[in-house]
Amino acid sequence: MQMVKKVTLIFFASWLALLLFMPKAELYYSLEKILAKKDIKLNEKSIEEGLFSLNIKEITVYVKGIPLANIEKLNFFTLFFYSSLTIENLISDETLHTKIPALVKEAHVNHQFFSPMSLSLDANGSFGEIVGDVDLLKRTLYIDFVDTKDIGMIQPSLTKGIKTNGEEGWIYEKSF
Amino acid sequence: MKNLFKPEMIKKLIAVLTFLLVVKLLWFVIQVTLLTAQDIDQVQDQSSKALYYRVKLTPKNTVAPQEIIKPAVTRIRRSIKEITLLAIYNASDISVITVEYKHKSKVLGTGDTINGFTLEGAGNNFAMFSKDNKNYKVLLDKNSKSNSSIRPRKKHKIPSKILPKVKKVLGEVTNEGAAKIIDRSLLDHYANNMDDIYKNIGISEIKEGNDVNGFKVNFVRKDSPFSQLGIRRGDVIKAVNGQEINSYNAAFGVYKNIKNIDNLSLVIIRGKEEMELEYEIN
Repeated sequence: MQMVKKVTLIFFASWLALLLFMPKAELYYSLEKILAKKDIKLNEKSIEEGLFSLNIKEITVYVKGIPLANIEKLNFFTLFFYSSLTIENLISDETLHTKIPALVKEAHVNHQFFSPMSLSLDANGSFGEIVGDVDLLKRTLYIDFVDTKDIGMIQPSLTKGIKTNGEEGWIYEKSF
Repeated sequence: MKNLFKPEMIKKLIAVLTFLLVVKLLWFVIQVTLLTAQDIDQVQDQSSKALYYRVKLTPKNTVAPQEIIKPAVTRIRRSIKEITLLAIYNASDISVITVEYKHKSKVLGTGDTINGFTLEGAGNNFAMFSKDNKNYKVLLDKNSKSNSSIRPRKKHKIPSKILPKVKKVLGEVTNEGAAKIIDRSLLDHYANNMDDIYKNIGISEIKEGNDVNGFKVNFVRKDSPFSQLGIRRGDVIKAVNGQEINSYNAAFGVYKNIKNIDNLSLVIIRGKEEMELEYEIN
């Protein structure tokens, strides 16, 4: 029993130490470096490291040098077995309004250790409310429009079908 | 206090601190070898200023290209007699017809224009044209030219089976003597439907190192508004309205303001020659 206690303590201490000392900003810069190779650059006003999180404020997303979206706040949070990304107030350029919604008020992307090859997501904004998931194994994205508001512009990208709850409604599916 | 300085406790404390140091070192090694400590930011494009500004000295009304085009409306009746439908070919996505106009036969596809009439589609024995939001029907008559006619229909509705599947682009590029006039509705259409641009014209950047040195035209769809502008495959677009196109952002900036411009000029390189193409917008 003493041994189990000791192992648990060491495991917990290691987990805590790894999280606390994680170079979160440098990990973010590395992500920026990967994105830059795909001509996507993120200009941010401030980066703040928390104990388990990283907060980035006022981000402008550039694709091939073109500012296409502004994000008020991004928050990465991780406990290793559970990680989440929260996006607040994403405003896209008007030229993209036929592809993506004009305003994403809040979006969450979650990853759990027990289903490592999938991500769950939910968001709300000018389009209404969505829930969906990303299957990293099949490389597919599936989005259910739970509550629709202003989807006129993005409607051509959507299909009408049977949602996961069995009701008929707007869905978005894409392979990548 | 005595317990705190017990050798066992000090040993434990040293073990914990060593452990934390090891974890910190581990992350440090990862940081140095795999990660980057430098923020990568997009450098703001400061150089994208217009090389020159075009000032329209004549009042807007005097150009009045609409007024130039409008007389064609009064010539509809003359066109009625002159257009004869000779043959029809209907495919799933396009209708092609042969007409006789001014004693010359012409082949028209969906969207083509003859004497101001735009071909909308065709049925088994007729072709539908439109002009000024009115639809006109021309009946097929293989034997006699005199029986073929264009007449306005009271109902504007075109049978859905003959409507072209491709979204119709309103507006066109017209030649008025030496000047080419672009219909503003055409610009508005492309400003709102970016995808339609890429269906008609293919462009790719010319890079010199990390810098963009113009955009090369890879293809121009025949009979598209872009081909009517006089742009050809192989042309390199260097500047638009005096704005040097040396980045995607500069090109996008021009695209975003396309609704607000009154005239358009393109500086292109064709072969080894630099040319300037100028258009008026109405």
